[in-house]
Amino acid sequence: MITFATISFLGLPLLAILLLNVVSKKTGGAISISVGYVVAIIQMIAAVVCMALLWMHGKDFIEFSLFWDMNATLGAAKLSVDLFSLVVLFCIGMVSLASLLTAKKTIGEKTLNYTNLLMVIMLGMNGIAVVTDLFSLYVFLEITGIASFVLIALLNDKRGLEGAFKYLVMSAIASALILGSFALIFTQTGSLVYGDVAKALADWRNAQYAPLLIVGFVMFIAGFSIKAGIAPFHGWLPDAYQSAPASVSVLLGGIVTKMAGVYALIRVLNSVFVAMPMINNTLLILGLISIVFGAVAACGQKDFKRILAYSSISQIGYIILGVASGSLLGFVGAMLHFFNHATFKTTLFVNSAAVEMQTGTTDIDQLGGLQARMPVTAVSSILAFLSMAGIPPLAGFWSKLLIIIAVWQSVSAVGGGIALAASIFTAAYFLILQRKVFFGPLEDHLTEVTEAKGTISLAAVLLSIVTVAFGVLFPVILNFLHLQGIL
Amino acid sequence: MNIVSAIILTAALLMIIAGMFCLVRTYNLIRIIIAIEIAMKAITLLLVFAGAVNGNMALSQTFVITMIVIEVIVAVVAAGIAISLYHKNGNVDIRELTNLKG
Repeated sequence: MITFATISFLGLPLLAILLLNVVSKKTGGAISISVGYVVAIIQMIAAVVCMALLWMHGKDFIEFSLFWDMNATLGAAKLSVDLFSLVVLFCIGMVSLASLLTAKKTIGEKTLNYTNLLMVIMLGMNGIAVVTDLFSLYVFLEITGIASFVLIALLNDKRGLEGAFKYLVMSAIASALILGSFALIFTQTGSLVYGDVAKALADWRNAQYAPLLIVGFVMFIAGFSIKAGIAPFHGWLPDAYQSAPASVSVLLGGIVTKMAGVYALIRVLNSVFVAMPMINNTLLILGLISIVFGAVAACGQKDFKRILAYSSISQIGYIILGVASGSLLGFVGAMLHFFNHATFKTTLFVNSAAVEMQTGTTDIDQLGGLQARMPVTAVSSILAFLSMAGIPPLAGFWSKLLIIIAVWQSVSAVGGGIALAASIFTAAYFLILQRKVFFGPLEDHLTEVTEAKGTISLAAVLLSIVTVAFGVLFPVILNFLHLQGIL
Repeated sequence: MNIVSAIILTAALLMIIAGMFCLVRTYNLIRIIIAIEIAMKAITLLLVFAGAVNGNMALSQTFVITMIVIEVIVAVVAAGIAISLYHKNGNVDIRELTNLKG
């Protein structure tokens, strides 16, 4: 049972890629979408099963390997899942499912290519979640990156190609920085496994190449900040999100940048750079800049997807802030906000896909009063927006609350205060968005618009249920945290 | 720090600076790809240097070879996108890429 569940994270996408390359291109479209559903749903089930097993056995993590014997030789590569990676594996399954449901209606004749690339990107993201050494981390980061460049440019239109090229250049610079930092760290440690590197770095101030290590830390932060789209390094992110096909935007905004940037950053930070306050302080400042900048910049945008992209920058700032607070409470808050952000941002991108499909535009100046014509989309987007703005009892409120409490307690009241104040801007730009797209009188040329039928509405409804249910059931988790002595 | 490692580190630094300078200065898509490649080659040099310093040359070599493979794939995808952009725009000038603003 446990072997099957853990192996499925990497084995299943690989198997699906093999399968999808056997079917013919003409008939492959419909089959490939079904294969994608199966992979995504099995991944969600496997993640839940592993969580249950962790809890039953009282373990912190499960180690496993794929096709090799991890105990054969000393230092053989190992994969490992813990609670955080299982949460993100669940998110990957969920967002991929939403993306597939959207793609079924929107992607057209490129369905087979899309599903193939989706499987590659899932493989890359699952890999990032389970690896335990810097070498494999880099390999899976690049797999994810390359698949996403091709996905953005999938429809071969001018805007998609432009967004993909911008993303590619920034991502290549980020890779160079990340890899440079790994090289400099490797100079000192002689190993790339997380645990060994952490041990070797414990006494880094007395190391032979200590100045090089400082350069390495700077390159590390800069590289992952570019990948995650944290504020001063965010230039590519709105372009990539806006130009991608609708279902790819769902995937990118929901999970890809968060896996390649935020999750990888948090994982390396927590298992390699243990107890290095200077890195935490840097990230704290970056997180605060990101929160404020993303929220303010989103207020001035004219495109539905672009507003969502800037709000992603802002929300990623909250996740980084929670981790940078350095306390366990902050980490738990960041983990929950990661899940929440995956839910509500995916909902909003699904809604933008529905609006784009039905009206043919995402320019908010040309939209208006869609509430009456597209009730499901309007209601689910309002729920997601309320969750993101942190209105109780929806899910986003609780995770933001935990992060702000953690920052307030362990760092400074000023940081917590800024994060709290920026929530108001979140409400501001989403009120602008809602008012221009869904509220108000119906524009004349939109009277023929109907609700996006079928799978897109299904995705929006399912994700809204998750948002509401998670928020309402959150006191259970709070109680659990209280029992553990964290809160 | 001996003289050899000083030379290698300087060379790597110069290559990174050359790559970044090229990236900032040029308006040509193909030159941007070349700039990225130059910066990545510097990183390759750093990895070899790291292996030589800590004595774990086997891991370093594995890393470098894997990295070269991945880098080639990135260059191929980048070149593919550049060619498509050339077909759409009729040139390879990045100043033409102004469809996305806000």
